[in-house]
Amino acid sequence: MAEHTQTLIDLAKVVRSKNAGPFELTFDIMFDDVEKYERVKKAGVINAHRIAEIYRVRLDDVLVCAPYDPAVAFKITIRRPVGSGDVTDRDVYGCQQHVPLMGIVVP
Amino acid sequence: MDEVVGLAPSGSMGSGYNLEAFKRGVSLKPHFIGQDAGSTDMGPYYHGTGRTFLPLATYRYDLAIMLRAARELRVPLIVGSALTSGANVSLEQAVELIRDIAREERLSFRMAVINAEIDKADLKRRNAASPLESIGPGALTDELIDRCGPIVAQMGVEPFMKALDAGADVIVAGRACDDVIFAAMPIMKGYDPGLALHCGKILECAGLSAVPCDLAEPLLGRVRRDHFEVEPCNPDHRCTTVSVAGHSLYERGDPCLQPGPGGMNDLTASVFTQLDERRVKVSGSRFVPDETYRVKLEGAEHLGFRSVVLVGIRDPFMIRALDGLFEHVRERAESRFGLAAKGIALNFSVYGRDAVMGKLETAPALEPHEVALLIDVVAPEQELATGVVMFVRGTLQHASYPGIVNTAGNMAYPFSPFGVPLGPAYRFAVYHLMPLADPCECFPMTIEEVKN
Repeated sequence: MAEHTQTLIDLAKVVRSKNAGPFELTFDIMFDDVEKYERVKKAGVINAHRIAEIYRVRLDDVLVCAPYDPAVAFKITIRRPVGSGDVTDRDVYGCQQHVPLMGIVVP
Repeated sequence: MDEVVGLAPSGSMGSGYNLEAFKRGVSLKPHFIGQDAGSTDMGPYYHGTGRTFLPLATYRYDLAIMLRAARELRVPLIVGSALTSGANVSLEQAVELIRDIAREERLSFRMAVINAEIDKADLKRRNAASPLESIGPGALTDELIDRCGPIVAQMGVEPFMKALDAGADVIVAGRACDDVIFAAMPIMKGYDPGLALHCGKILECAGLSAVPCDLAEPLLGRVRRDHFEVEPCNPDHRCTTVSVAGHSLYERGDPCLQPGPGGMNDLTASVFTQLDERRVKVSGSRFVPDETYRVKLEGAEHLGFRSVVLVGIRDPFMIRALDGLFEHVRERAESRFGLAAKGIALNFSVYGRDAVMGKLETAPALEPHEVALLIDVVAPEQELATGVVMFVRGTLQHASYPGIVNTAGNMAYPFSPFGVPLGPAYRFAVYHLMPLADPCECFPMTIEEVKN
């Protein structure tokens, strides 16, 4: 049903990206509502294949992609396409790479 | 109560902290005050040069308050990763700041200084004997080691324990794994390392794991026999199970398995319990020692010197023509300077379009009405970098393109001078694991009796 099709940004409270060391980029998707979290978890839309596609990295460059119940959150970590602060890097903290995740459709 | 209480003033020394809340933390009689003062987060420049992220006066201000409090309480002040990279040059600056504060405040104490910079000749010998494992960049070679600024190792709890054992009132350490600053005293007193390190991981960012989340809000942690508790010092703030569990995610690749010096902290079985509105209890975290004790090395390789030009562009025909113009200007610069042969990097970043995400940008290509253009050149010498970036901007300034209506100049300069030399440019190139026979062997300690 159309009214049930939402994107991640409609459901999550926090969608953030940050370096985990200079060579990894890590994403946290956090919820303030367990039901919404469970809905996204059950939908299975956050998975390594989807992340590899969104960030145009190889599947084995997606190092972690898993739900973490204690924090009502998803954890995603990828190898940084360019190291932090390297010549062509334009996001030293890696804190503005989260936006494409917001549009993930949750049926 | 059988416990070790640690107080963390702020998640980042030099950025200030809530002094009212800190006072309240001090009134709760902590057994030590701990402060993390460094990171790789601000990029390779600080590791490459050994320079501090902030002016020294800002660190002095923060240090003076915590040093006074620690001396009044008669408990150790433990500072790790001083300052920024934790290389010798910045560690010495931190030590000098502390001596200076002590003179001014007439304080006397025993100070332990622990170095974390690695001797390059020793590193080459170790790497030749058994190549160090990379956890990001390419293989370590002698040439690469020579191109790096100071190379540091992240120390574990052991050098801090040694300093506490020597009766240090103040410990100032170079590069250290951030959680060990807070875990050393509980572990020394026989508390569980898994709990002590997990509590340390939360304390090192201070109020970041509370609600509202704020690095400048002091946090108090109590490590006990079978659990630990955390509480924000600001009475209006609170820790929740979700905020504390959520912090295990922050800047870490895996929420449950967190590698550090000498082993892995396993949070898979951690249980988070809300004690009251503001306090959270954690149990079940477990430290699993590695068979071989290893520390992480960090170093940044010198690439050359960077000069930049930043301009604004408002003309719609120019904005439409940008990519073609970049190609044209790059060819001109290539024939004038020999970019490829000289190893000169020239990058154009169009803010307002796709500069932040580059190739990862997924937004549809709408036409912005205004963009900022950053022209960024890294060359073997500073003068050459400035020469190239000024040549490029000059060529762009008067280049012609389809539909041009304004023939007086293509770009708006926000200030004069146009070309800005940014100094040396670096790349993180050492991020390797080095085995140690003794966890203290690369971290020499000196004891100084500060008397005033």
